[in-house]
Amino acid sequence: MADLKPILLVEDSPKDVELTLAALERCQLANTVIVARDGAEALDYLHARGKFKDRKTSEPAVVLLDLKLPKVDGLEVLEQIKNDAGLRHTPVVMLTSSREERDLVRSYQLGVNAFVVKPVGFEQFFEAIQDLGIFWAVLNEPPPRSALGSEPVA
Amino acid sequence: MNQPALLSEPDSGSSSLDLSTCDREPIHVPGNIQPYGALLVLEPGTLRVLQVANGTEAILRSEGGLTGAALADVVPASVFAAVEQVEAATLAPGVSHLGTVRFGHDGGWRSYHAIAHRSAGRIVLEFEETVADEPGSFEDLYPHVREFLDSLQSVSSVQELANMAAREVRRITGLDRALVYRFDEDWNGTVIAEDRSEALPSYLDLRFPASDIPAQARELYRLNRLRLIADADYTPVPIEPTLDPATNAPVDLSLSVLRSVSPVHLEYMRNMGTHASMSISLLREGRLWGLISCHNAAPRRVPYHVRTACDFIGQILSLQLGAKEHATMAEQRHARRTIGARLLGHMAAEDHFLDGLIKHGDDLLALTNAAGAAVVFGGSSALLGETPPPAEVDRIVAWLSAHHHDKDVFATDNLAVAMPWAEPLKDHASGLLAIAISQVHDSFVIWFRPEVVRTVSWGGDPRKRAEVEPDGLRLHPRKSFEVWKETVSLRSSPWHPTELDAAAELRIAIVDIVLRRAEELAALSERLVSINKELEAFSYSVSHDLRAPFRHIVGYSQLLKTNEGTALSERGRRYVDTIIESAISAGTLVDNLLSYSQMGRATLVPVPLDMDTLTAEVIRKLDMEVGERSIDWRIGELAPTRGDPVMLRLVFQNLLANAIKFTRDRDPAVIEVGCRPKGGENIYFVRDNGVGFDEAYVSKLFGVFQRLHRVEDFEGTGIGLANVRRIVERHGGRVWAEGQVDGGATISFALPSGTE
Repeated sequence: MADLKPILLVEDSPKDVELTLAALERCQLANTVIVARDGAEALDYLHARGKFKDRKTSEPAVVLLDLKLPKVDGLEVLEQIKNDAGLRHTPVVMLTSSREERDLVRSYQLGVNAFVVKPVGFEQFFEAIQDLGIFWAVLNEPPPRSALGSEPVA
Repeated sequence: MNQPALLSEPDSGSSSLDLSTCDREPIHVPGNIQPYGALLVLEPGTLRVLQVANGTEAILRSEGGLTGAALADVVPASVFAAVEQVEAATLAPGVSHLGTVRFGHDGGWRSYHAIAHRSAGRIVLEFEETVADEPGSFEDLYPHVREFLDSLQSVSSVQELANMAAREVRRITGLDRALVYRFDEDWNGTVIAEDRSEALPSYLDLRFPASDIPAQARELYRLNRLRLIADADYTPVPIEPTLDPATNAPVDLSLSVLRSVSPVHLEYMRNMGTHASMSISLLREGRLWGLISCHNAAPRRVPYHVRTACDFIGQILSLQLGAKEHATMAEQRHARRTIGARLLGHMAAEDHFLDGLIKHGDDLLALTNAAGAAVVFGGSSALLGETPPPAEVDRIVAWLSAHHHDKDVFATDNLAVAMPWAEPLKDHASGLLAIAISQVHDSFVIWFRPEVVRTVSWGGDPRKRAEVEPDGLRLHPRKSFEVWKETVSLRSSPWHPTELDAAAELRIAIVDIVLRRAEELAALSERLVSINKELEAFSYSVSHDLRAPFRHIVGYSQLLKTNEGTALSERGRRYVDTIIESAISAGTLVDNLLSYSQMGRATLVPVPLDMDTLTAEVIRKLDMEVGERSIDWRIGELAPTRGDPVMLRLVFQNLLANAIKFTRDRDPAVIEVGCRPKGGENIYFVRDNGVGFDEAYVSKLFGVFQRLHRVEDFEGTGIGLANVRRIVERHGGRVWAEGQVDGGATISFALPSGTE
């Protein structure tokens, strides 16, 4: 499975990074997880520039994107991805604490593939991550042209 | 129908009593004189006699006929010289006193004042017989006049001036009664001052219609400032020939001192019980302002120089009137400003500024000298003083809104003209003055004045005199009063310019206040918007940041339990479970709080709603979670409504979930859902046979985080019913609860019907 694309996790909170990684680990996915700690870094990875200029890994299978991020926030990253001809088919899942309707509405307007409100309970979080990971990283191999505007996972 | 005037002596030479023609009669060319002297009409240039009054020959002791004679041949040389001067003085059109002359009579002498004036291309020369013991010259009267002049200094008002003039004129003339009579805008007259002996009744405050002194009489009064009728029973002396041989016109006697007056007027004088009268014109800026009118019970001739003194007093009075009226107006303006300022202070002191007007009705009425007022604002009105009943005031307001909402000030002294239906309101509202105080609402301050007839008191008692007069009395002050009353029926006293100004100024002040309040309100709502935004930002931040730590606690505890669980003791594992449980419950609390705040902020999207389907769906979903319990659902028919489907679904979800929760230990649990229409509302209710609640705490039931049960008995955050109330209220409805401990609970909510 060497040709498995990585998962790009964009998350500023180290605790959330650790918990998400723990959850992904439990899913026993073989994909590499690349962590970007803010929006700018995520874009650097996607565009293979800056500190990711010489990255060996390929385009991500899925971007797990936190909404509130330093420098460039999640919605902006999403907007740039969806407006970029080369990146627009990369599935993006919003992972957020927010239950705010306007964030949800805005995300779908920008073409997010799924929107997940991080549940307080870890078990539910684990389940959500597992579903996401399997769906996007394993099942959703072909460029997800049809995935645009697909049903939200939660 | 016109009546001849009480005070106007000139009238027609015709003996006809056709009163309707009074104002068309050529009263300046009566063709007669009063029998107290001689009159000659002279041709300028030749100074030959064209016309003479009968008896002139006898007075001048002229042998032959005077007509055609040369003046030099028939009068003393001194008089002739004076007449020549009058003729030469083309720029002096007034009346000239040529001196006193004596003519022989019955072996003695009689003295005459020789008086001449120009009249329509002719010179009129009159000889007025002197009165026994009369003052020899104007100078003899000067001390009186001087005294009057001095006393004027101390007088400040028109009223005092009039009082003083009446007193002075009566003192100089010795007549029984002197009145000061004043015209209003429409030429109706009022007696404003009086000085009298007991011989004649009081006419103070008496009113006369404009028709009493017709237009041509007023014009004559303007030209000739002083008239005298010495005896109402005099026999008129004709002028012959009647017409000027050259012009074929009767001689114009406008400025004649001996001019004869209308028999109608003489009849009027007799009916009044006065046999002599004299009137002096008062002019202000060229307009007839009023008259000083004097009467005597018995016939009486007022000597020429006395009349001159009276004329002088009249002229001084005329000069003073303008100044005093200006001063009075300024004073009134000042007084009203003071009242206006006071009202402004009252308004500033009140929470609602109009209360300042309502609580100080006296000032409000005094501001415009009104008898009643209404303060109408935003659909409610307060009535002060003498006003029409509230329903009629509402009608007036409606009329004002329809016709004059764009006018700052509306004033009338005859409301029935504008609003014919308002005629029955005349006792309170013949006069109306209204100011519009808001562009948005139909809001006014309105002042009322009664019909003026109600406000007039006439000190005299003309009825008494009328009783002793013969029946069919046509000409009498009492009749004048009646005619005047007809003239002014449905009218109030007119709104004075200072009163209108005061109202307009109050309007500006109120509008300023209204505007300032509006600005304050706008500023407030601007602040509210910014506070709301802050609140929104706050809850947005809470929703992101407050939840995260709880998630972390749960997540790490879970990891601890899973990965390191074996290293922990039984107690340690229980601790971890409690940590997880607590953090989850704290997280839920945050979630609920956020959903509650969202409920208040989210936009309402109302659509027609089938409530039967909506509850059925909610019940189906809840039923699945109920599990093994048996619940007896009793679902009635629910009226459809119009509302936000997501929100109203949440209402039923909350109410039904509560019902399920609180009937947990009932077997069977009975949950009833129903609806009944009542007074424009549909009342929906959810009733259960559960644990109920203590009605003493019913007020807490719908509060945020208010719980009536211990958490270990019944789980929950206490946000559900608060949400229900918020949603129902946002739909324009209300919600309430009934219940008793262990006796079940009924939660009802009412939504406006007719909106589905």
